[in-house]
Amino acid sequence: MEIGESKEGAVFVLAPTGRLDSANARSFEERVLAALEQGESALLIDFGNLDYISSAGLRVLLMGAKRLQQSGGTIALCTLSPSIREVFEISGFLTIFAVHDDRAAALAAMG
Amino acid sequence: MLSFAEEMMLLLLDDQDGSFLPIPEWSMQCALAGAVLMDLALADRIDTDLESLMLVDGKPTGNPLLDPTLERVAASKEVHGARYWVENTAAYADDIRDGALDRLVEAGVLNREEDRFLWVFRSRRYPTVDGRAEREVKLRIMGVLLSDEIPDPRDIVIICLCDSCGIFNELLSPRELERARARIDQVRKMDLIGQAVAKSVWEIQASLAMAAHPVY
Repeated sequence: MEIGESKEGAVFVLAPTGRLDSANARSFEERVLAALEQGESALLIDFGNLDYISSAGLRVLLMGAKRLQQSGGTIALCTLSPSIREVFEISGFLTIFAVHDDRAAALAAMG
Repeated sequence: MLSFAEEMMLLLLDDQDGSFLPIPEWSMQCALAGAVLMDLALADRIDTDLESLMLVDGKPTGNPLLDPTLERVAASKEVHGARYWVENTAAYADDIRDGALDRLVEAGVLNREEDRFLWVFRSRRYPTVDGRAEREVKLRIMGVLLSDEIPDPRDIVIICLCDSCGIFNELLSPRELERARARIDQVRKMDLIGQAVAKSVWEIQASLAMAAHPVY
């Protein structure tokens, strides 16, 4: 899994590609934690290039969001494919994450 | 750190006399099965999605409560969903329960006492010796239920399992339960194995209800 990284204004953007599952959840978690340790307080995860997410991927997202919340930061998600949106809907994650249609809408809301 | 099966045992025992709370046997069986599967998921041995439960790493965990289930998942020639594995593992719930209780007795958390009922029937009680672990679990649960904070994955698991067993009726007063209901409903959805446990319990309850009140 490749993870794109960029800074857009005050927002740090991570864009995982392919699958987020047990094979790479730890490395994704490390990237999220590294961003938090760098002092990033606004994190956007762009799922536009993500095809699949498993429970292990959901757990990593949850842990990242929890740490960010504890440090007073914000997290948002954008560009969910229908299949990933379904996973988020069934697991109730849509009720805890701010989810936007695309990156532009997310950045506007977070700015 | 205690396994989820051990934490569930602490919550399923009456604090006063060490007997089991009156919950349906199948609920306890499904919850213990879910507890083992969730521990295997957090140990990176299995992973799940909406359709399947997949083996990630068949290497034993070294925990005798978990490894028999891991062996069965690893030996399976077909990929099944989480619900299949909840029901498969529930068949071994007595072993999981006894193993969890043995470990808690060995760790000095519980004591084992044998009683005789009508001089013939033997029953066992497990009074608490050291209540710290149970208090810690209850505090974690209440901390999640009484706040809007994003829960930790371990806390989600224990809330899923408690709700599947129906033991929130025992842990919370009716007023507390009414207040916490929406939060319980939100949190219990967050784990896909937890959802499979709940579906298995509901299906068995529905089958029993149909058997008791058949619709002709």
